[in-house]
Amino acid sequence: MLFNSIDFAIFLPIFFILYWFVANKNLKFQNFLVVLASYLFYGWWDWRFLILIIFSTIVDYSIGRKLISEDTKFKRKILLWTSIIVNLGFLGFFKYYNFFLDNFITAFSFFGTTINASSLNIILPVGISFYTFQTLSYTIDVYRNKLEPTKDYIAFSAFVCFFPQLVAGPIERATNLLPQFNRKRFFDNQKAIDGLHLILWGLFKKIVIADSCATYANEIFSEYESMNSLSLALGAIYFSFQIYGDFSGYSDIAIGTSKLFGIDLMRNFKFPYFSRDIAEFWRNWHISLSTWFRDYLYIPLGGSRGGLKMKIRNTFIIFLVSGFWHGANWTFIIWGFLNALYFLPLLITNNNRNYLDIVAKGRVFPTLKELIYMLTTFSLTVIAWVFFRADSISIAINYLKKLFSFNFTNGMQYLSIERYAPELIILIIFFVIVEWNSRENEHPFFGKWIYLKIVFTLLGIITLGVYSDVTDFIYFQF
Amino acid sequence: MSQFIKYLFSTLLLIIGLLYLCDFIYTQTYINSNPRNKLQYIISTEDETFDVVFLGSSRVANHVDVKLFDSLSHKKTINLGVEGAGLNDNLLQLKLLIDKNYISNIFLQVDFNFENTSPSNISISEAMPFLRNDIIKNHLKDNFINFKKLEYLPFYRYAINDPKIGFREFSFSIFNKKPRINPSIGFTPKFGNRFPLKGKNLSETIKQNNSVLDEIIQICKKNKISLTLYTSPFCSKTRNIDYINKLKIKIPGLIDLSKGYSDKLFFNCGHLNSEGAKIFTTNLYTATKNNLRD
Repeated sequence: MLFNSIDFAIFLPIFFILYWFVANKNLKFQNFLVVLASYLFYGWWDWRFLILIIFSTIVDYSIGRKLISEDTKFKRKILLWTSIIVNLGFLGFFKYYNFFLDNFITAFSFFGTTINASSLNIILPVGISFYTFQTLSYTIDVYRNKLEPTKDYIAFSAFVCFFPQLVAGPIERATNLLPQFNRKRFFDNQKAIDGLHLILWGLFKKIVIADSCATYANEIFSEYESMNSLSLALGAIYFSFQIYGDFSGYSDIAIGTSKLFGIDLMRNFKFPYFSRDIAEFWRNWHISLSTWFRDYLYIPLGGSRGGLKMKIRNTFIIFLVSGFWHGANWTFIIWGFLNALYFLPLLITNNNRNYLDIVAKGRVFPTLKELIYMLTTFSLTVIAWVFFRADSISIAINYLKKLFSFNFTNGMQYLSIERYAPELIILIIFFVIVEWNSRENEHPFFGKWIYLKIVFTLLGIITLGVYSDVTDFIYFQF
Repeated sequence: MSQFIKYLFSTLLLIIGLLYLCDFIYTQTYINSNPRNKLQYIISTEDETFDVVFLGSSRVANHVDVKLFDSLSHKKTINLGVEGAGLNDNLLQLKLLIDKNYISNIFLQVDFNFENTSPSNISISEAMPFLRNDIIKNHLKDNFINFKKLEYLPFYRYAINDPKIGFREFSFSIFNKKPRINPSIGFTPKFGNRFPLKGKNLSETIKQNNSVLDEIIQICKKNKISLTLYTSPFCSKTRNIDYINKLKIKIPGLIDLSKGYSDKLFFNCGHLNSEGAKIFTTNLYTATKNNLRD
């Protein structure tokens, strides 16, 4: 079920009524309702996906229970690795089987050996990368004695499959989300209204910003060979805003929806395009994944202990794995590698924790230095996004080659979608101004003129939204 | 909770109010602004006499050089070909045209569009602001299962057709911005070539008959309009070109100009470039000049 669909618009109020008016007296029943609704939400795509998520839930719940009663380190390790192998095994099979197979065949053919193996027609279960990481975090935290394993199977199931964040995050930690299913929730007017505001802003980001950018970016990327440098630069910028609007919009709707049910999820985006260096960008982009990798991969690998070499090695590992997590394609790995390269000067000069505050806090305008830093960081991320968006590395390289050939013949190109390539910049500039003014908050609905802001946002969603071509959220594919 | 419910309902009311308001403003703008597309142009015409009207898809819009045809035939000619339009859309154009105007000759492009009877481009988007027009309403209500939604859900018709009649087009209409294509002439030539040409697959089989085409023939007969059916050129890469021979059996008077054009004259496989359009227009005139009615 998509957040931006009629199905969800019917599903949500029905669940809201049942949750607060029918099941509110009994916590177990309320959690059971969360599980049922989440399975319905998830099964809406394909009921067969439910088998996987239920199996994953049973495995991690059982391993969690076993871990508490097991004292020997060796046996505890075996239990932990069972969970890791099962979860990553599913992920590996469904997401990466064909990728590895293709690459093995290519590698062997390079050495003159032909392998006859046919790829499987595997459907990637929606959101598998997200809930796999979420359940893994539970088992690892229990193993590390950071978390008491729950006895309540229903609460644990609700933690694994909670529908607002099930398919595209934020990837929650058991330490934050699970306790919320173990205690009674009370309706909080202010929190619920704040949730509505987040949903509204998330919808604006998705339907207006992301989907409009997608129309242009798709056209420019598919016809990149006939585009001049201006159009190609715009195509890359449009994709940057598409992915930001799409993913942060999803996160806002997820967090906002959870607030309606008295559940607090972690923030996933903090205006990353206003970052002054790449380290700040990664502290503000897909925060739940970055911190997951930090806590469950970077630190176990040794983190920054062991000197600069170790730090650099671990950073590269994190970014390469992060790239690979996004998809079974070398383009994602190169995207991760590029980001690691961007990080390198900051690591060497020990400047990776320079900007921990909000940019230009308390001021209307940034300083010239801040502006230059922000533009530089944004440009670097835009270049990396070309690899993320392109179908292959060679296409990405050709795209960038053409972009940097500085060929501006034909000026503002008229695209076959019957639009001039630069037209959308007006909307992007408007969006950036609104986001800049909101950067000390979660959304623009604060301070004076809240109702007027809501009216204009609704007007924007109605008139500027893309409804002719309803699209999935990009991160569903991961 | 009551505070939240109040807030939620007032927001919902606000949304409904805004939808009605936007629908009203958009509709009034499209009805009262200068025509920016061919359907708007047809609706705006009254008591006009057209000697020759070309109907069809982009294979008409890109192919028939109106000025050239005009100069060869000395007849007032208009090209009403619309990108993506099918026979059903041409039928709607025809119904609207004859309602208030006088037409002597209609040239209708028939090719693989013979396989289709449902509406496309024009009906689903450019006609939407005019749903209160009886001809449009009667034509569309039989063709759309969601017609009631289009008619009664505020702003729905604009939302689902946003590429054609969304905010961008609305803004241009409000400021009376000149369209890229002059709808009162209607020729939109393509320039250059997009090599390598990718050939289109024509259907291997042919439909028994096309009820929409039959209706167009009947209307022309009833209104004493000379109807010429013809087929435009395809490039050499087109597959199943034998389809046109099958079509000629179905439509005995069909003028077949589908072959004999060098690939250099094509922009892409289904569309001639400006040079090709000139040659084609001359050929079409030569092939049909004796049938033209005064």
